[in-house]
Amino acid sequence: MSETFYEVLRRQGITRRSFLKFCSLTAASLGLSAAAMPKIAQALETRPRTPVLWLHGLECTCCSESFIRSAHPLTRDVVLSMLSLDYDDTLMAAAGHQAEAIIEMVKEKYRGNYIVAVEGNPPLNEGGMFCIQGGRPFVEKLKETCADAKAVIAWGSCASYGCVQAARPNPTRATPIRKVIADKPIVCVPGCPPIAEVMTGVVTYMLTFDRIPALDRQGRPKMFYGQRIHDKCYRRGHFDAGQFVEAWDDESAKKGFCLYKMGCKGPTTYNACSSMRWNGGVSWPVQSGHGCLGCSEDGFWDKGSFYDRVTGIHQFGIEANADVIGGAIAIGTGAAIAAHAAVTALDSLRRRAGNKDAREGIEA
Amino acid sequence: MLSQNDVQEAKARGNLAYSLYIYEAPLRLWHWANSIIMLALAISGYLIGSPPPTLTGEAADHYVMGNIRFIHFVASYLFAIGLVARVYWAFAGNIYARQIFLPPVFNKEWWKEVLFELRWYLFLEHTPKKYLGHNPMALLMMFFFFTILAFGMLLTGFGLYAEGADDGWMNALFGWVAPLLGGSQQTHGWHRLGMWIMMSFAVLHVYAAIREEVLSKHSLISTMISGWRMFKE
Amino acid sequence: MSYATQGFTLDNSGRRVVVDPVCRIEGHMRVEVNLDGNNVIRNAVSTGTMWRGLEVILKGRDPRDAWAFTERICGVCTGTHALTSVRAVEDALAIQIPENAHLIRNLMQLTLYVHDHLVHFYHLHALDWVDVVSALKADAQKTSALAQGISAWPLSSPGYFRDVQAKLKKFIDSGQLGPFSNAYWGNPAYKLPPEANLMAVAHYLEALDFQKEIVKIHAIFGGRNPHPNWLVGGVPCAINLEGAGAVGAVNMERLNLVQNVIQQAAVFIEQVYIPDLVAIASFYKDWLYGGGIGSQFLLAYGDIPDRANDHEADNLLLPRGAIINGDLDNILPVDLKDPEQIQEFVAHSWYKYPDETRGLHPFDGITEPDFTLGANTKGSKTRVEAFDEAGKYSWIKAPRWRGHAMEVGCLARMTLAYLQPRRYPMIKETIDDILRKLDLPLSAIFSTLGRTAARGVETLYCVQLQQQMFARLMANLKAGDHNTANITKWEPATWPAEAQGAGFTEAPRGALGHWIKIKDGKIDNYQCVVPTTWNGSPRDPKGQIGAFEASLLNTPLAKADEPLEILRTLHSFDPCLACSTHVMRPDGQEMARVRVR
Repeated sequence: MSETFYEVLRRQGITRRSFLKFCSLTAASLGLSAAAMPKIAQALETRPRTPVLWLHGLECTCCSESFIRSAHPLTRDVVLSMLSLDYDDTLMAAAGHQAEAIIEMVKEKYRGNYIVAVEGNPPLNEGGMFCIQGGRPFVEKLKETCADAKAVIAWGSCASYGCVQAARPNPTRATPIRKVIADKPIVCVPGCPPIAEVMTGVVTYMLTFDRIPALDRQGRPKMFYGQRIHDKCYRRGHFDAGQFVEAWDDESAKKGFCLYKMGCKGPTTYNACSSMRWNGGVSWPVQSGHGCLGCSEDGFWDKGSFYDRVTGIHQFGIEANADVIGGAIAIGTGAAIAAHAAVTALDSLRRRAGNKDAREGIEA
Repeated sequence: MLSQNDVQEAKARGNLAYSLYIYEAPLRLWHWANSIIMLALAISGYLIGSPPPTLTGEAADHYVMGNIRFIHFVASYLFAIGLVARVYWAFAGNIYARQIFLPPVFNKEWWKEVLFELRWYLFLEHTPKKYLGHNPMALLMMFFFFTILAFGMLLTGFGLYAEGADDGWMNALFGWVAPLLGGSQQTHGWHRLGMWIMMSFAVLHVYAAIREEVLSKHSLISTMISGWRMFKE
Repeated sequence: MSYATQGFTLDNSGRRVVVDPVCRIEGHMRVEVNLDGNNVIRNAVSTGTMWRGLEVILKGRDPRDAWAFTERICGVCTGTHALTSVRAVEDALAIQIPENAHLIRNLMQLTLYVHDHLVHFYHLHALDWVDVVSALKADAQKTSALAQGISAWPLSSPGYFRDVQAKLKKFIDSGQLGPFSNAYWGNPAYKLPPEANLMAVAHYLEALDFQKEIVKIHAIFGGRNPHPNWLVGGVPCAINLEGAGAVGAVNMERLNLVQNVIQQAAVFIEQVYIPDLVAIASFYKDWLYGGGIGSQFLLAYGDIPDRANDHEADNLLLPRGAIINGDLDNILPVDLKDPEQIQEFVAHSWYKYPDETRGLHPFDGITEPDFTLGANTKGSKTRVEAFDEAGKYSWIKAPRWRGHAMEVGCLARMTLAYLQPRRYPMIKETIDDILRKLDLPLSAIFSTLGRTAARGVETLYCVQLQQQMFARLMANLKAGDHNTANITKWEPATWPAEAQGAGFTEAPRGALGHWIKIKDGKIDNYQCVVPTTWNGSPRDPKGQIGAFEASLLNTPLAKADEPLEILRTLHSFDPCLACSTHVMRPDGQEMARVRVR
């Protein structure tokens, strides 16, 4: 089980020839030149396993659960052959101080050469004691563990943005990782949870190429978060045609029409679901008839109902959607104009009458 | 820009009919083109957020949303290009071409006339003042509900575009917008609210123009057609 | 100091041992125990160490969205909160769901059981019984003989086990032990021979590969797993068996995949999980600690309605009922809406009540965080060495049923089912069969091992129910009913101005209830009381201890500094701490009073 990636492939009956082909395909699919291929092959053949410390803050463990669903690579190969998952309180055998000792050991032995993967986020209210680990606030453990790391992976929407516990009014002041860790490269892999193969894809990319993948403005790997769900949705044809599900389980739903009117957030969500799909490619939310919740977007819990297309804007202490506010403004404007026009007409009639009187007065 | 100055200037430069060339041809062209573009943007934009009832049959037989979006995007580029051209014209054109970009907010007298115009609209004044360009109240409204808002609409609109654009000029110029507003969905919300405000203002604008045409004794609508301001007395 | 409660004597005078974090659970938890001179646990203090405050977040939101929020309470028992939530909303608004939706929901809930129990057994619990390092000493030939002797599972040749062993050796020799680092290998509390350890390690890996298949059922009906999608009024997936566009809905191919997954899971459960369970248990027959209050106080809300829209106890395929004072002959009726039955106390929890000697029903629940520590706490407020159980010491409240601390979960469910053999014949037969094989009396099930075995029995039962539900779904489709959603009350305009309801499920970990109040189309009040709140509850004003604390008492530790037995017993409950520690006042105004200290 301490095999290299190459050995894993060999074990699965893959020949050296196929392995090299895999490497060149990998290079091509990642947009690298053919010259990168030997480097990939060498990295996969010889690199010792990079220690990964997987911390959990305020979260629901859906990221871990998603991670173990990975079909390619298999989770067992990731965990046992590609990296060294030295700390993960959800899976590790040890507990208590034996577990905590591992963090110290890795920090010392692999200074600057280990990766911290964070699932969940630290709460800052109550001195951080809304999440206590080892009798201390989680935020302290997080900072200490990250101090000597090579890079940090922020798993899921919790670590990337705050997610559900940070939804209004965020009672615990749950805070995204990037607002707590400032001096390390952070790769955000949002989603509630992220797709399993996206998670393992990001990790294997980092291990294979020994670098951070290209990130967008929000710190997300462009390779998986560069395009909208909507742009790659297999129901897009129905959207463009103007064919929509109008009510649950209607004729359109049975035909697999677009879920736009049911509040699908695919048009405002950047993720890979519509192309990579979930659970080994079996399905994904839209394919199973429910709109996208937009779970990989910042603050998706506070964007109004999951079933509204035009959703609320929270500002100035009010919550209403653009059509409600805008409609009110339009109606208000219309009413004001009508009233104003009426008064104008009356006023000018009155004045015309007045002028006439005045003129008559002069004449008289 | 102040009524007194304007009337003096009109008398000094104008002929007996008090008619003056105010709005040059490019500006007039832009104005009317822009009104059509904005109407197209508003209608198509509204339908993007609230699509028409579903169509049955084969998807390949229809392209309703595709066309609506096409109209919206073409119109938005025209709107953007028009606005850029309009900014250029603010420099190249006459002084009336600059008004909506630079209200004289540091001029106390001007503010007094804003208040005067407000009173006029509230029927508290019975004799309107005359202006060569926009009256101060109209200018102020124009500045906030057209100039500023138009740039806001461009930013939010292109901000939404830029999200999916790879590292190009679009991303460089507008990529910061959506994250700043709290994401894509939120940006959509603001963009749509902007549409409602702009359309409400457009209606107000049309109403005020007609009303002024009738009551204020100088031409308005015809001025935007011919460029000439006619003073009736 | 020492005192007696519920038949236990607590004595906190001995050496204090702290385990924090308790790993291989969902969420964050700490336990402190006092050992006497013989390393026997005489006092146990369990602390939920996280709090997320989800109910306050729910206030003012659309009730139709609530399932998505509550689903994020837990990603391990993913879906069960969502189901509880849609049931609560449907209860409040009197919405009836179509037959297909009913069957699909049951299939999804059962899928969760099968997946969750399997992952719990192999990946969260097995390492408490299985010594990974010892597997290196195994004889592959004998391992094969062992495996073939108990099961027809084909991956059982000597070569297969030799291969697993060789890889394991290489892994351990690398010095990078990953998740197996710094654990308790070689502890005398591990009783399995090397051959059984090797077989279990092989199955640990096989189960890791296989578990991801089971949840494909969630992906088909709910779009993904974890966190599939649900719908108030039915299920979101439409069914189209033969019309144009069927590929965009649940069609024959999708149904075939569901059936395929169910069959595979049934084989894995029958040929791997259950034989492993019995084999492992046979070496731990003498280690029957950890019963706690399990033989005395048991509670279940029940689940898996047989007929659609009937949530009465006699229609539930997983039983509902309560047992108190060990009176197994009297199964008491349970009503979630009765204010006298379920009440929560906060005397030892980090919340404030006006009167902390009294409990509150969830409809009237208050949760005002109050992070204060007892006078005898060791350490400082943000660097706690040992909690003072005389003061407040947990983010978990203390729920009580008619004043009693209760154990919830598979042991409660399986006991209640065992006691009603005419309604649940398969469960009695299976339990009797396992007890016969192990040559143990019925009383043995009230133990750590019993809890673990009950989970296995339940998994077997659930996979059979899945087959039954699938057959019924096919029959209903054959009869021409293709409806999946009732939308008559979808629009909030059709709702009454005010409504309230309760939803229930049995989460894999135990009884789960949601209480909702709806006002003017928005959530006015939302409360959840979840399984680990019951099991992991701190003490109440009377000093009664919860199931976790009780289960640890009187257990001897083989090595005082290795908490192997503590982990074993706690894991047998399958704790889910993210679930248990989010409960708070639905009144958002209260939040302004949370002070940052």
